Amino acid sequence: MTGREAAARRRALVCVGPTVLALGALTVYPGVWVLWLSFQRRIPIFDVSRFAGFENYAFLAVDSRFWSAARTTAVFTLGSVALEVVLGVAAALAIHAQQRGRKVSLSLLLLAWAMPAVVGAKLFEWLYHPAAGLINVALGRHAINWLGDPSVALPAVILADVWRTMPFVAILCYARLLAIPADVYEAAQVDGAGRIATLTRITLPLLGRILLLAVLFRTLDALRAFDIMFVLTGGGPAGTTETLTVYAYRALFQTLQLGFGSAVSVVVFALVMAVAWAYLRLLRAGTVAA
Amino acid sequence: MTARLRRSAWPLVLTVWLLAFGGCAAGPERGPVTLVFKYARILGNADPLPELLRAFEAAHPGVRVKGEALPWASDDQHQFYVINLEGRSPGFDVMMLDCIWVPEFARAGWLLDLTSHLQPDELAPYFPSAVASATYGGRVWALPWNFNVGLLYYRADLLAKYGLRPPETYEELVEQVRRVRAGERDPALDGYVWQGKQYEGLVVNVLEAFWANGARLLAEDGTVFPEPARAADALRFLRGLIETGVSPAWTTAADEELSRRAFGDGHAIFLRNWPYAMDLFEGKGSAVRGKVAFAPLPGRARGEPGAGSTGGAHLGVSSRSRHPDLAMALARHLTSESAQRAIALGAALSPARQALYRDAELVRSHPAMPRLQALALAGRPRPVTPYYLLLSATVQPEFSAALVGVKPPERAIADAGTRLAYFLRAVR
Repeated sequence: MTGREAAARRRALVCVGPTVLALGALTVYPGVWVLWLSFQRRIPIFDVSRFAGFENYAFLAVDSRFWSAARTTAVFTLGSVALEVVLGVAAALAIHAQQRGRKVSLSLLLLAWAMPAVVGAKLFEWLYHPAAGLINVALGRHAINWLGDPSVALPAVILADVWRTMPFVAILCYARLLAIPADVYEAAQVDGAGRIATLTRITLPLLGRILLLAVLFRTLDALRAFDIMFVLTGGGPAGTTETLTVYAYRALFQTLQLGFGSAVSVVVFALVMAVAWAYLRLLRAGTVAA
Repeated sequence: MTARLRRSAWPLVLTVWLLAFGGCAAGPERGPVTLVFKYARILGNADPLPELLRAFEAAHPGVRVKGEALPWASDDQHQFYVINLEGRSPGFDVMMLDCIWVPEFARAGWLLDLTSHLQPDELAPYFPSAVASATYGGRVWALPWNFNVGLLYYRADLLAKYGLRPPETYEELVEQVRRVRAGERDPALDGYVWQGKQYEGLVVNVLEAFWANGARLLAEDGTVFPEPARAADALRFLRGLIETGVSPAWTTAADEELSRRAFGDGHAIFLRNWPYAMDLFEGKGSAVRGKVAFAPLPGRARGEPGAGSTGGAHLGVSSRSRHPDLAMALARHLTSESAQRAIALGAALSPARQALYRDAELVRSHPAMPRLQALALAGRPRPVTPYYLLLSATVQPEFSAALVGVKPPERAIADAGTRLAYFLRAVR
């Protein structure tokens, strides 16, 4: 290594230093601390602090509320991400096919995306209002108990989430669509490909990688979803909309069981990491194949 | 070119370092004594608090009082206090407390024990239920500030039309709903609306149903659900109200405001709610103005007389306050009779001092106050325990499950009991 290279290295370390330190202080340290907490019974305000080994995890294994929250998280994630992808792609194709007013459509889409989650949730709280809500007024006699019926509440929450986050998928796909050269479509037309064949053989495969990325982001967000159900239902009715993060919040911040709540958080963290790892592998495999 | 870039990059790096690790130093406190009072701005348009704080400053030269706002939602306020008090940051002296937090904060050592600061009989003017919720382990930890009790609102015009008197039992209420609805033939008219959403309000409503049926959530000796069969029966009764259509299906998503609006728009005969709703029903432009009255919550035909759950806010002094005597004086000033009168006049909050319910000025603006006093006296506090939030958060989904009919009431009670046993074993 020459002197210049060594100097450049030192400079690089100094430049990277704050980031590494900040990441270490803000991510690694709390992460390890939470893991350590999850092996304890710790409720500081009642002076409870003792090592408990896997006691919290053993309780989670038989805790019906935990499994219900896990199931809700899974259904919410699958449901909202699937709908977002289908509607997002459809919206992107629709805007792409539009001759005029693309900017207006895009701005409207972005409006929903730019809205803070809590504001969006409040909006849907009014839409779902049992008597005065727009939806039930439109349904007239067939009014639905949106947020109070255990079989409807989770779909209602998913719908509200899809409305807010679908634009994210749509914008990403739209950007990719703009980048597909026109001659690809011309060539398809010359070869006699119909609209359906063009869509399934050309457009969708070309959207594949960006979609995978969108799905990765959205899945990780959906697994950690909190605000929308917290505002809309508080986890009810009968806990049917309580996700793992809402459960963790209740344990950690409401009932102050730092040990038990940390165990729930560790499970969420492990889940998110596993999913991220699987997606990243898929993405990498895609890169090699392409 | 590169050299110039390299040189110009240093200030940037330095800035990042400063941003990351600067800004931690705080200046020392100087000048006159400053007391910080934490409260939620729940007092509506004519907030009398700034004036009350100025009056305290005028009476205590050299003391400045800063009123600082708490977050809006009760859960967020609790979280704010816990983080700051657990983190030992002495950011405030006097704090507004939801009455259900007092034993928890007292046990955690965050509240100054006020017992020795109190004159004998200083708490006598307050509602006994308010004093009970400010007391833990035989010591007093807070001064009652405003007071709430669950009431049964009814449409006096409709009941009079059918020659009915306000119901004393839930069975009578159900019968009256049937008669009025049969006569009115209005499909938009609901019977009895209350709070069945999965949140603290649900626990309050279920507790009232428990009490009417001779059941409790927590016994004095710490047993959870000491009368499980009666408790399950009370839950079954509430579920029955929804199943039979006496209460609308959306009761399972209703909070105070949702049910208050339905009743206030003239779409219900009976409503369970807090005293604040009366002012809104009597307000200008209200659809039910002059048609509403309130009565005690009903009992059960073969159970106990009904009792409303009590609530409200207390003022406590932080045990980390650097000026405990001044802070105590401020809490006393804000809970004084004249302060509580000003608050009751300026906002829809009921005072915790009984004498004010017969105060000429207040009765003129709120004619229902003398009646309210009798009902408030009969009110019962929610379990006074440091573990109240744990209790409440654990039973909420179980009660909700019984209400929406996905779990038999017996199982909901049993499941809640099992979970509570695990959590309470750790803290007791």
